[in-house]
Amino acid sequence: MLQADLLRGLAEDEAERVLALGNRLVLTAGAVLFQLGDTADCIYLVARGRLRLTLPIQVASREERVFVEERSAGQTVGWSGLIPPYRFTLTATAPLESAVIALGREALGRYFSEHPETGYKVTQNLASVIGQRLQIFQTMWLREIERMVELRCA
Amino acid sequence: MDMLLMGACLAMFGIAVACLAFGAATRDARQAQASAPAIEKELAKAAASPAHFFVNVPAPGIAARPRVPIEVLLLQLENHVRLEQAAAECFLEAPDAARLRSRTTSPLVNWSIN
Repeated sequence: MLQADLLRGLAEDEAERVLALGNRLVLTAGAVLFQLGDTADCIYLVARGRLRLTLPIQVASREERVFVEERSAGQTVGWSGLIPPYRFTLTATAPLESAVIALGREALGRYFSEHPETGYKVTQNLASVIGQRLQIFQTMWLREIERMVELRCA
Repeated sequence: MDMLLMGACLAMFGIAVACLAFGAATRDARQAQASAPAIEKELAKAAASPAHFFVNVPAPGIAARPRVPIEVLLLQLENHVRLEQAAAECFLEAPDAARLRSRTTSPLVNWSIN
């Protein structure tokens, strides 16, 4: 867990102190960690297993969860817990028994105000996680636009 | 005597005409019976076939298209998203136009694969 993407660049003891702020949650296969629209008070680090992130879409007048991405050990899930308006924008489900470390926003805020350097590094890592996802989805969107234009011009 | 012979000749002629007529009548009925199914088949074919010589291939409407079960569609979507994410990651590692337009094997974009 010390190698988690959110803790990159932190000294080992520093990372351990941040991890100690969290609670370990074990999710059984099929358990929902959070739902789209839920209030987001925590950010999660996947300690073991996998988390599937999905969005609901209408398929044949039925609401179905469509796969958006998957997170595995060492990756961060639920950054909406640290970014206003603190609402989850996806649903997270464990497809197999998994474990996460839930880091509460208030506990992190207090710790970061006492240790601003740690707060700065974690915030940088968080920006990197969000930026990476933004770039990937921007590229996916551009590829879809390319195909649409190709189809229209064919 | 002459009158008797003439009557006999006329009677024979009448019988012959009657036989011919009977034969003709029964032959028509048999032939008609034998050819009736063939004619019906031809009539059915003619009624079914279009009034022109070229073949009309009806365009499959949305209702006529084979329906993909929802579970299959969801798996296809998941596969598509995974492939597109991988393609996007490849592009972000070394951005260039060719990588942006690279094809995947996703069945949901097969319409654009030549």
